[in-house]
Amino acid sequence: MNEDTLILYYYNDGLSKRERQQVEEAIHSDATVAATYEELCQQLNGMSGPDSPAVPSHTVERWHDAIDRAARQEHARTQSPARSFNPWSFAWGAAIAAALALGVGLNMTSVDPEIVTPATVPGAFTRGVQVHFRDTFQELSSLPADSAADRSMLALQIIEQNRLYERAAEQNDSQSLARVLRAFEPVLLQLAAEDLSPEDAAALQAQLIFELNVMLTKLSRDVSNETDTSQPGIQT
Amino acid sequence: MVANLQTPGLPTQADFHAAISDRSDRWFAACLKITRNRDLAEDAVQDALLNAWNKRHQFDNTARLDTWIHRIAINAALQLLRKNRPAAFEPLETDVEDDADTPETVQAEHELGKRLSAAMTHLSEFERVCFVLKHLEQWRLKEIAEEVGSDVGAVKQAVFRAVRKLRVRMGSLKGEKT
Repeated sequence: MNEDTLILYYYNDGLSKRERQQVEEAIHSDATVAATYEELCQQLNGMSGPDSPAVPSHTVERWHDAIDRAARQEHARTQSPARSFNPWSFAWGAAIAAALALGVGLNMTSVDPEIVTPATVPGAFTRGVQVHFRDTFQELSSLPADSAADRSMLALQIIEQNRLYERAAEQNDSQSLARVLRAFEPVLLQLAAEDLSPEDAAALQAQLIFELNVMLTKLSRDVSNETDTSQPGIQT
Repeated sequence: MVANLQTPGLPTQADFHAAISDRSDRWFAACLKITRNRDLAEDAVQDALLNAWNKRHQFDNTARLDTWIHRIAINAALQLLRKNRPAAFEPLETDVEDDADTPETVQAEHELGKRLSAAMTHLSEFERVCFVLKHLEQWRLKEIAEEVGSDVGAVKQAVFRAVRKLRVRMGSLKGEKT
C-alpha cells in the first residue's frame, strides 16, 4: 500500500469504492499500514490553516464602500430606465440631432446671414451636443460591467447617434466638433467588440468617460463664454 | 454576530456588510494563502464582493452568503494569480521549489507566521495552490483540476508532492524548535 493511496484515502477523494475498501482492509489487517496511516493522519491533521492575518481597517472599509458604490450604481440604473440604452433613447438622440440640423438649415436659409450673430447658432448646437455628451456619459457610467451584449449594443447606438450629430455639426459649419465626434468612433468600435475582456472593456469605458468629461467641461466653458459675450451691452 | 445568512430572496446590502464585518478576514486569509501577496489578496476579496453583488440573483439562499463569497474570493484569487503569474498554473514534472520570494511574499509569510506557512514557501506555486484548495479549502480534485485548467492526475501528483515536502519540512522545523 503506497503512501499516495493513503493520502487519497485520508482526503476521501480520488479513489473508487473498491479501492477504498482495499485500503480499509489493509489498515485493519496490516499493522505497518495502520501505523503509516496513523502517522500520516497526525501530520495532515497538524497542517491546519494558519491564523487569519489581521486585515487593516481601511481595507475592510474599502470593501464596505465597494458594496455601497455598487448598490448606488445599481439604484441609479434602475431609477433611470430611459437612460439604459433602449431604442427610445436612440430615437430621442436622433430626433435632437435631426432637429438641430434642420433648425440650423432653416436659420441659414431664412435669416439674412448678415444679421445672424455668428455665436447664436453654434451656441444652440453646442448645447444640443452637450446634452448628447451628458447622456452618453451617464449611459457609459452606468453600463453593467458583466454584460458584453449590453455594452456592445450601447456602443453601437452611441456611434449611430454620434454620426447624426457629426453630420449636423458639418452642416452647422462646426468642423472642430465634427472632428471630436468622429474621434470617439474608433474607441467606441473597440468597446462594441463582444469578445473584449472585462478588463479591456473597463479601460476603454474609463477612457471614454474621461474624454467625455473633458469635452463637457470644454463645451460648458464655450457656451458660458458665448452667453457672456452675446448679452446686450457686452457685445461690441 | 453572524451575517443574515438565511435571507429569503436576494441578499441585501446589509447582508453583504454583515458578511464583510464577520468573515472578510477569512476570505482575505484564504486569498493570501493562494496569492502570497497582500495586494492581490485584497483585490481578490474586492473583486469577489462586487462579483457576488452583481450576481446575487444566482445565490441559493439555502446556502450561507459568507461561504458563497468565500468560494468566489478563492476563484478571484486564482484568476488574479493566473493573470499575474501564469507560470503558477504549469504543473511541474520535477520538484522545483518556488524560491522567488519578493518582499511582499516575505511580508505575507511573516503575517501568516505559522510553521505550515513557512513550510509552504518550499512548494512550487502549482503545488501550493493544489494543496491549499485540497487540504485547507476541501475542494474535490476534479474541481481543482477544472479551476486550474489541468487534469486530475496532475493535481493528484501536485498534492502528493506537496504533502511529502510539507511532512519533511514541518518535521525538520519541529526538530529545530525543540
